Amino acid sequence: MPAMTEEAPQPPLNSSTACAWCGAQVEGVGVVYCCHGCETAADMVREAGLGRHFERREAPSPRPSGRSAGWEHLPVETAADGDHVAMLRIDGLRCGSCVWLVERVLQGAPGVREVQVSYASGSCALRFDPTQTDLGQLAHRVEDLGYSPRPSDSGVTPDRALLLRLGLASFVAMNVMMSSVSVYLGWWSGMDPRFTSLLQWTNLILATPVALWAAEPFFVAAWAGLRHRVLHMDLPVSVGVAILYGHGVFATFRGEDSYLDSLTMLVALLLGGRLLEQRGRTRAAEAASSLAARAPRSARRVGETGPEDVAPSELRPGDVLEVALGEEIAADGLVTEGEANVGMALLTGESEPRPVRRGDRVVAGGVLLDGGLRVMVEAAGESTLLSRMATGLRSAQAKPTPPSLPDRIAPIFTAATLTVAAATFTLGALTLGVHDTLPRVIAVLVVACPCALALAAPLATAAGLGAAARRGLLFQGGAGLRRLAEVDLVAFDKTGTLTQGEPVVVEADDATLRLAAAVERQSLHPIARGIVAEAVRRGLPIPLAQGVREVPGVGVEGVLDGRLIRVRRGGPGEVIVEGQGRISLRDVIRPDAARTVARLKALGLPVVLLTGDGAEVAARIGAEAGVDEVLAEHDPEAKLAALRRWQAQGRRVLFVGDGVNDGPALSEAHAGVAMGGGAASSVLIADAVIAREGLGPVLAGIFAARAAERAIRGNLTRSLAYNVGAVALAAAGLVNPLVAAVLMPLSSGLVIFGALRVERAVAKEL
Amino acid sequence: MDIIFFLLPLALALGGVFVALFLRAASQGQFDDLDDPPQRILEDD
Repeated sequence: MPAMTEEAPQPPLNSSTACAWCGAQVEGVGVVYCCHGCETAADMVREAGLGRHFERREAPSPRPSGRSAGWEHLPVETAADGDHVAMLRIDGLRCGSCVWLVERVLQGAPGVREVQVSYASGSCALRFDPTQTDLGQLAHRVEDLGYSPRPSDSGVTPDRALLLRLGLASFVAMNVMMSSVSVYLGWWSGMDPRFTSLLQWTNLILATPVALWAAEPFFVAAWAGLRHRVLHMDLPVSVGVAILYGHGVFATFRGEDSYLDSLTMLVALLLGGRLLEQRGRTRAAEAASSLAARAPRSARRVGETGPEDVAPSELRPGDVLEVALGEEIAADGLVTEGEANVGMALLTGESEPRPVRRGDRVVAGGVLLDGGLRVMVEAAGESTLLSRMATGLRSAQAKPTPPSLPDRIAPIFTAATLTVAAATFTLGALTLGVHDTLPRVIAVLVVACPCALALAAPLATAAGLGAAARRGLLFQGGAGLRRLAEVDLVAFDKTGTLTQGEPVVVEADDATLRLAAAVERQSLHPIARGIVAEAVRRGLPIPLAQGVREVPGVGVEGVLDGRLIRVRRGGPGEVIVEGQGRISLRDVIRPDAARTVARLKALGLPVVLLTGDGAEVAARIGAEAGVDEVLAEHDPEAKLAALRRWQAQGRRVLFVGDGVNDGPALSEAHAGVAMGGGAASSVLIADAVIAREGLGPVLAGIFAARAAERAIRGNLTRSLAYNVGAVALAAAGLVNPLVAAVLMPLSSGLVIFGALRVERAVAKEL
Repeated sequence: MDIIFFLLPLALALGGVFVALFLRAASQGQFDDLDDPPQRILEDD
């Protein structure tokens, strides 16, 4: 991090240096560290002989922020030879060297047999000897370096079958195309019938595995659709493939020209489209669901023999829990001892911590920001408020997936094709005779195969998902993209969504800030974090105060340069450093909030602030962000009611939120977008997740969704126009295998071109 | 020109060898992750 020397503190202090690990400004000369955690991390790297990391890393390393507990309660997989196999997701990997470092450090741990960290996905596959180490120890090593490991589903192996089919189909398509071109050229230059026959039989032999094996997914899907009485695009595709192949066999035996070149090309193109769609979808969905994974939790139960760590699911009402600074409360209960401030930001959306003391009730999911508590459990496991909310959400999650436009067209399309074929046959048989009409009917059925139509949606959807993902919005599936394109009203939650969710210093002088930061440095309280963040932003070197202690209900005190510094947390948003000055903090809107809201309004989307907070704060934040309407004092039920009211008026609402309490709104709204740092349940239930800081991705997502929808419509128009024109030509007897071989790839090419424009359209809009 | 009766199957058989190699590589998972190997190539050990 570059030092901001122009904002050097007054009066001049000792020379300031960047922490050799995390880059924060600290007092001192030479190699200095801002805290014990950073020093330990750097020592660990040097002692392991991995000092090269310091030259190769592209950014300062993340600051270690303590160890998580409860890993021993996670289920582990045991391999046949007794080794344990586990999958982690590691956050904070910033460059290739970070990946290298984590791999080396884990490899150096006793008992580790195999480590593979992926930079692209942040996943880490581990194999270790359970008699020498356990997952918790390994996770702690990673945490000591400042990275955040989380448990992850064991690696999802991508569907390789599709790639195999595509490989074979592409090879065959190109070879069949070559020998077919020879046959067509033979029409004009003349060709020995022996060669023609050789080429025709070659084509049939090559095309057979393509039609029978590579095209299998289309037949399977079409059959499944028929059984469930849902007609979609795979049905006309399957019919087309079957007719093309059947005719090919028939024609080859009779020594006539076949459409096998069109068949193989079509299957290869369709498989390619399907593979692209699948890769885009799984990658985004995997990344999104990994945002919902949290480090495991454990609870410290006070038993007869002293405190013991247990899994939260083992707790029973009546147990007594000990909860220390920075820990999460594992069950709902009654405080029996102690005093603390509890942060409930993810649960209620309120950034202001709630002070609790003996006799107060606390709920699972709250985090202790200072102090310590003993809690008597009243509800644990599935019956906690947190669990009940999350379960309620999951059952409400099944949003109906609207069929895509091409799938809705498919049955009409099939019916129309069959009608035209029947009409061609009847008319032709009456005028030309049956023998001359059959080739025309075959030609109609062949060119009517909706290759371009079937490619239209998958390609454009994959392009849209990709364009959104590159800009920080991860969709859980293609249906969410479709719904986001349709929204005509945007509602934002306030705390943590439109605002940063943590207090930010709005007014303070450097000297006061420096003293406050010196004592608040180790604290987890959001106000403390805001003060330290501002000191770092201003480039103030932060000294380390001695004998820092929390004075419950009052603030923090510590000794710096022989002077006692008392920092009192005054009313909301005010901190007083005794004998020095005061610091004002406020939850401010995200830096890009006003710009995003303005752009949304420019798109013709009304923007509403929907919050549970009081009218005064809501009005101020609403005005800063520039929203059209502010609805304050709306608890989760009132939010739902507001959404239902709008939707009853025919509005399609996009709701953007972050907390557990936003879950119902996220699932009720036409489209829901969750903040990546938000509650796990809201991340899982939303259509899409913002994977970086700020609200910009919402806008990018809307552009991507709209561009994809436009591309799908454009593709549909083009491919329908092609099909109608080609069917007319075929009915008139103007289509032969050569014409089909030119027309079909041409129409698919138009569709591919349409999908490629999605990325460009999004880039232009932003 | 009758040589084509020999050359065409030969060419296809050669192509088939490469298709078989591709199918083998793909089913072993060599194409599962196309993003990490380029990151790893610069590691010198």
